[in-house]
Amino acid sequence: MVSRRGLVTGPFGIALLVLALLPRWTSDYHVSVVLDVLMWVAVTESWIILSGYTGYISLGHSAFFGLGAYIMAMTWPQLPFLLGIVLAGVLSSVFALTIGLVVFRVRGPYFVILTLGLTEFILHVVVNLEIKLGGTVGRILMSAPSLATLYYAMLATAAAAVVTAYVVKNSRFGAGLFSLKEDEKAASALGVNTTLQKWAAYGISAFFPGVVGAIMALRHSYIDPYNAFDPMVSFQVIVMAFLGGMEEVEGAVVGAVLLTLVSEALWASYPYYYMIILGVIMIVTVKFMPLGLVAPFKGRLLARAADGSGAGA
Amino acid sequence: MDLTRILQVLFSGLIIGGIYALIAVGLNMIYGTMRLLNIAHGEVIMLGAYVTFWLYTLYGISPLVSVVAVMGLSAALGALICRWIFFPVISTSKSVAVLESNSLLIFYGLSIIFTNISSLLWTTDARGYSYLTEVVHVLGVPLMKNRLWALGLSFFVCVFFYVLLQKTMLGKAIRALIQDKDASLLVGVNPDAIYYFSFSMSFALAGLAGCLLSMFYEMTPFMGMPYTITAFIVIVLGGLGNVLGSLLGGILLGLVETVGVSLTSPGWRPILSYALFILIIVLRPRGIFGKGVY
Repeated sequence: MVSRRGLVTGPFGIALLVLALLPRWTSDYHVSVVLDVLMWVAVTESWIILSGYTGYISLGHSAFFGLGAYIMAMTWPQLPFLLGIVLAGVLSSVFALTIGLVVFRVRGPYFVILTLGLTEFILHVVVNLEIKLGGTVGRILMSAPSLATLYYAMLATAAAAVVTAYVVKNSRFGAGLFSLKEDEKAASALGVNTTLQKWAAYGISAFFPGVVGAIMALRHSYIDPYNAFDPMVSFQVIVMAFLGGMEEVEGAVVGAVLLTLVSEALWASYPYYYMIILGVIMIVTVKFMPLGLVAPFKGRLLARAADGSGAGA
Repeated sequence: MDLTRILQVLFSGLIIGGIYALIAVGLNMIYGTMRLLNIAHGEVIMLGAYVTFWLYTLYGISPLVSVVAVMGLSAALGALICRWIFFPVISTSKSVAVLESNSLLIFYGLSIIFTNISSLLWTTDARGYSYLTEVVHVLGVPLMKNRLWALGLSFFVCVFFYVLLQKTMLGKAIRALIQDKDASLLVGVNPDAIYYFSFSMSFALAGLAGCLLSMFYEMTPFMGMPYTITAFIVIVLGGLGNVLGSLLGGILLGLVETVGVSLTSPGWRPILSYALFILIIVLRPRGIFGKGVY
């Protein structure tokens, strides 16, 4: 009988293998679509590590994405590609840990709007700095690595994000994070170091958008503050996480895949309709299925697996 | 700086401050009574601006007349959203924390929907019209008539609201509901009626602000978010749930901003306001007036 571990690692391994072989089979167009899907998977997984698990909803993940993009723009091509993206991730984490000293002093709606305000603040600071330093706002990145290189980098990032979200969820650390959502005071009374846990989750969570931003800067070979710090990045991530179920590692993948495909069909020709659909999905999900798409199926699947092993024994 | 220059800065501060007060009072009413934080508030302002623009350029209706229609339409939109979206969500949310996060996400969705509907209807190019641009001198300061109207109307509505909240039964019921929901139910406050009232008033005030702003600023579908953030700054300054604090906070922020910009440069305006916002929320999350001014 399939164990619970097998249920998780089996499909993950097969998916990874198929994705790794994909560039050999298909056209550049399909590779770049999958690259987009993987990008959203990585960012959404990172978002649920903080917001899905702890309930501290961040509307500011685009800040880390933009930061990563700018770190790449400033270091490319002086630094090698791999070093550049790792640096982007690490600095983005360091930045999160630094502002984390302050943002977790507030909670609930204050936290939510603070993350939104901070992102806008960073955007305007970058706009003003760029005008002062360079005279113009945009930057062009020359001689980017090949599509395949970027694709494998993104695949590795997405896989790492999924594994991290999974490991965190099933660890003692993850249990601590979930306890924050249930009742922060009670958790702290039981000896969970709530401040440290939120802070650590924020740092981990910021790493992936930083890396993804760096890769995407090279992918588009042009960045300006408005597209790097686009608040739509934060919004899409939240819709994806909610659609799949914000506590589910698989949910983030499902949400990211579904919405990226919808976006692929609509975004180029009907961007406004696409955004309206996203808004409607957001409202409908919150109103009618607050647990998301995955949780009900998963519950049934796990129940059946448990039944099966019971009958076999 | 000579006296005229100082007076000019003061006037601009009061004009924009009056509008900030309108926006913030509306936002704070919904938060105070229902614990819903409307991040689509700025988008209602944007819709109000576009409707005024439409009525003026297509039918030649003066913004000072269409303000009534805009407020009515916004109020109706608010009541509908309250009825169709928030009553069900309020009744199914298990705790205040869940309600707060769910409502934020729903409003986030609404803001995206409004922005993109406007992009479809009016394109993303900046639109504007000129109306009452004659200059009059007040205390030696040259001011356009449309700004004087905005100043007069926003202060009139602010005073009206102050009286409504302080002196009438309705105002007392609203404040009672904000202070202590259970106790206000015991003394016979009908919460559903107040929820409807808060929603439609809040939206009407946002529509009014949009109407006034459209007389002297250009509009785009993306103009809403900065105003939402500004309104947050104001209500955090004045205290979340503290409606009167918002009136004072709005005028204060308008003055601080105009003085700040006149000392630096317009490019700094967003940086100054966001920095102020972050400082206040981190250092004084209960607002600068604390719990004093109810």
